[in-house]
Amino acid sequence: MAGFDIASGFVRLARHVQDVGDLVEAISTTCASMHIQYFALSHHVDFRREGNSAIRIHNYPPSWERWFDDHALGRLDPIHRASHLANTGFAWTNLPLMMRLTPEDQVVLDHAHRIGIGEGYTVPANVPGEMLGSCSFAVEPGRTFPEDLQLACEVIGAFAFEAARRLTQARAMSFTQVPILTDRQRDCVLWAARGKTDWEIAVILGISHETVIQHLKHARERYGVQKRAMLAVRALFDGAISFSDILKR
Amino acid sequence: MVLLVDTSTESGSDAVFRSMFAARKRVFIDLLKWDLPVLAGQYEVDAFDNAHARYLILTDTDHNHLASARLLPTVRPHILGDIFPTLCAGPPPRAPGIWEITRFCLDRSLRAGERRALRNWLVTAIAEHALRSGIRRYTGVAEMGWLQQILSFGWHCRPLGLPLPHGRGTLGALEIDITPETPALLEAGGVWSPIPLQETPARRAACA
Repeated sequence: MAGFDIASGFVRLARHVQDVGDLVEAISTTCASMHIQYFALSHHVDFRREGNSAIRIHNYPPSWERWFDDHALGRLDPIHRASHLANTGFAWTNLPLMMRLTPEDQVVLDHAHRIGIGEGYTVPANVPGEMLGSCSFAVEPGRTFPEDLQLACEVIGAFAFEAARRLTQARAMSFTQVPILTDRQRDCVLWAARGKTDWEIAVILGISHETVIQHLKHARERYGVQKRAMLAVRALFDGAISFSDILKR
Repeated sequence: MVLLVDTSTESGSDAVFRSMFAARKRVFIDLLKWDLPVLAGQYEVDAFDNAHARYLILTDTDHNHLASARLLPTVRPHILGDIFPTLCAGPPPRAPGIWEITRFCLDRSLRAGERRALRNWLVTAIAEHALRSGIRRYTGVAEMGWLQQILSFGWHCRPLGLPLPHGRGTLGALEIDITPETPALLEAGGVWSPIPLQETPARRAACA
């Protein structure tokens, strides 16, 4: 059971890493023992805007990061987007089955291939209330990604992402920067997210139209956003409201 | 206010158990679509819900279920050892000091903000229960998304084997070490959150 031995070895290393350099070393060594050249562990954000608190460690060719950031791909990268649709790891060869690829997506995939990144496998790494992330593993073009090691990558990706959270500020920021809404503000945000107008929300909650406007204004101020849609997105992101809240009948 | 029922030290009332089994049906069968037996059309109860199981149940003051977990002794039949042994690379762990966490359940009626608080109380209660009763390790089977969240609590976890596809997802098996260091690890993970002592029924009874 070689895959499990490799994964266990990585978990032992990951528990004791003291800094990001150690972690890169541990992942690189582990990947090398599987004959996997590349890994990339990343939050899915625009790194030119939010690079400080987000995690990104990888051993892709140096030109990749620059190109990636110049194109603001953190949130748009097709692999990242596909991982938001997946609840488990996926092979990049399955990408066309998971979502419709746009011409821009094809440009990204072609560019990766050109700079030496071939087939790969991505493990989604999402912790509720925090930025979405993933851990990818890839081989050089022309080689087949070793299928028998996909499940080992699943384990390595999960533990690597957690080690990265521990070593960076990712954990701290999720708890300190969440604005707190009052119950009434939250109720208004929830109904707004369900598509109700201020007047409709007033009728539903049995409060005045003016009060609803005030609650939503204060809620927007707490999040520092201008628009109703952005308010709903932020409240969803930090868990003040949930998808099931919005969608349930 | 939240009350904790620990069935290893007090007998839970029928109302609390009914409320928990109904909540489990709403979560595991109605929401997560697990293939489990249903009792009387509204309760999720299986063969492991027997006299050997322990429950940690958080309720409101009216004894309505808010969150719960079931602990099974690994020296007796349990989920990992008897249903998913293939998730372990070696023999599934079985020892008196090792218990399995199953049916970790947050009530569907909870709002998102409450879910996090209840989750933290329940994880803390599970760790405190182990420290109090001599459990040194937990095991558990989890879908990979939930497994990532379990790791994020900060306690020391190890995989027991490679994950395997199951239904529409992928299941993995973990063991979790519980040591005197665990509260500090959960604290660093932002999860440690003991229920204030005066709010537990046992303490109130002691003070009465």
